[in-house]
Amino acid sequence: MEKLQKILIVDDDPDLRRALKIRLRANHYDTAQASDGYSAIAVAQKEQPDLIILDLGLPAGDGSVVLERLQASDTLSSIPVIVLTARDPQANEQKMLQAGATAFFQKPADNNELLDVIRAALPNTWPGTALLS
Amino acid sequence: MNNEHTHVLLIEDNPGDADLVRLRLLEGDSAVNVSSVNRLADGLASMAKEPPSVVLLDLNLPDSHGADTFRKVLEKAPGIPVVILSGQDDEVLAMNALHQGVQDYLVKGDITSRHLGHAMRYAIERQALLRALEISRRQQLEFKNQFLSHVSHELRTPLTCIHQFVTILLDGLAGDINPEQRHHLGTVLNSVHQLRAMIHDLLEATRAESGKIRIEPRCITLGDLIQQATSMMAATAKEKHVGLEVGLDARIPFVYADPDRVLQVLINLIDNGIKFTPPDGSVLVKACLVDADPNMVYLSVADTGRGIGPEAKALIFERLYQDPNSVDDNRAGLGLGLFIAKELVELHGGRIWVASEVENGSTFSFTLPLYSLARLLFPVITYEGQLRNAIVLIKVELTPLSSPPRTNWKEVCAKALDTLRHCVYLDKDLVLPVMGKAETKETFFVAASTDLERAEIMMKRIREQLGPILKVSGVLQVSATAVSPPSAEDGRPLEELVQAVADQITETVRYELASKPNLENQTGKEVQSKTK
Repeated sequence: MEKLQKILIVDDDPDLRRALKIRLRANHYDTAQASDGYSAIAVAQKEQPDLIILDLGLPAGDGSVVLERLQASDTLSSIPVIVLTARDPQANEQKMLQAGATAFFQKPADNNELLDVIRAALPNTWPGTALLS
Repeated sequence: MNNEHTHVLLIEDNPGDADLVRLRLLEGDSAVNVSSVNRLADGLASMAKEPPSVVLLDLNLPDSHGADTFRKVLEKAPGIPVVILSGQDDEVLAMNALHQGVQDYLVKGDITSRHLGHAMRYAIERQALLRALEISRRQQLEFKNQFLSHVSHELRTPLTCIHQFVTILLDGLAGDINPEQRHHLGTVLNSVHQLRAMIHDLLEATRAESGKIRIEPRCITLGDLIQQATSMMAATAKEKHVGLEVGLDARIPFVYADPDRVLQVLINLIDNGIKFTPPDGSVLVKACLVDADPNMVYLSVADTGRGIGPEAKALIFERLYQDPNSVDDNRAGLGLGLFIAKELVELHGGRIWVASEVENGSTFSFTLPLYSLARLLFPVITYEGQLRNAIVLIKVELTPLSSPPRTNWKEVCAKALDTLRHCVYLDKDLVLPVMGKAETKETFFVAASTDLERAEIMMKRIREQLGPILKVSGVLQVSATAVSPPSAEDGRPLEELVQAVADQITETVRYELASKPNLENQTGKEVQSKTK
């Protein structure tokens, strides 16, 4: 069996993390979780995820700071980051994209759009992946 | 009041009066210094240089008379207290002055030192109170906006959770569900979408109120946009058995507007139309030109619903207004949609209104400016009353490397456009308004007053500056074609010559964008505007 690609979910709301985990598992992704800005970096280093879904309003380090630190890291800067936040896109979207985020979604986001962007951002995804697992 | 010296600026042309007033002021309060001028112009200059604590103003001066005098002073220095000192006891003029913001109106013969001193101090105090009131009003508005923005942010978090788990259930990720359960969950999901739209409107209205909505006008084909709006609303119309039709005047040329915002207005009006039209009624979306107003296009959304009464008609574009008679069974809103629509239309320089009779349907109409390349080109391609002799059209194409493009493609294009504007000379080159919507490939055009040879220099600059912006996300292509200007000898007025160049450029641009052969109208001199 092929090894599943791993997505790190960074969000301080445990219910939302659980929901995203169910959604991503159903689409054949492995998941890891972090609930604040500080542990986000540590978990990313330990788990080496293929993609990160990042909330902005986080305790212990705002998501924008997490993004900055990810981008500055030698080992983590190549991981695509999708920002998923309740914050206003008009004030934040451009800033986050310029800081290196792959995409910006405002909560609540459409599941299909989110999954499309995840698939596009992960280089090794091919249509047959779902059938393999 | 603090102990600093009060600086009184006395604007008075009669030297005797001026001396007397100065004396009275100094008698009344030693901590006052008085400077006096005898003309309004000198007074205004002095106020600009060093704002006084209070202005004591005679109305009849060598260079200004009556109400004009205080209006000019108030206009020039809105924050400075003004006290009128007049020779005539005119109650009507005095009330008029007070209503416009003057602090007091004194009559020359009546004043004593004590009286004058008080009047100065009270005027200064009242003005300070007014300022404090205005600051507090602004703070309250700012607080309200922050509060609304905070609330709409906080509401999104639990809503996201509801949305996620409802879709998990609906998609069968937590086990099979039966048709009845599916139906109920579908109802929940609809409510989630409604709530999401309301939260969005709340923030949008807050922005509109504080002037924070921005629009990015482009040169757009209205027909495409109307088609897009109606196809987005087709399902809603069908569900309610309401017909949705389009009547499009084929002569409509390009429109200069922000496509996303126009779409937002159209969808709002169509959605309202469907909402208030009973089953088997219809909603008609129309766009047409009106001879009396040649610079605008007229759009309308007409329904066959129950109509709007005269009282409601006057209030319908107000924020939070909801017609009390239009109780809607299943799809209520916040009453912000039309308020936002009005703000958006007015930002484009258009207007919006409604015509309606009770039981006879409603027609919402709005206008948008037509795109006139000639108007934009005129200052750029003419010089000293003549057409410049060489004009080149430079095409800058940005093609995304991946399909669909990376999500920041729009930003990359926006940045490239911004940089492109810095690559040209403002007085003789024009970056044409962007055509259509940026979905994938983006094309910019520059009309440059230069010949092909010298255009190379500009093209080199464009490649150097835009290349790094595209980096890995896209490919840049820059090319140029000469535009042959019509001969000035044929005696036509300059406006017509510019129009001919504009037509030729428009046709070339259309040809380039359509990327299919179009051999008609190559000279472009009698080109008629056509929509695709």
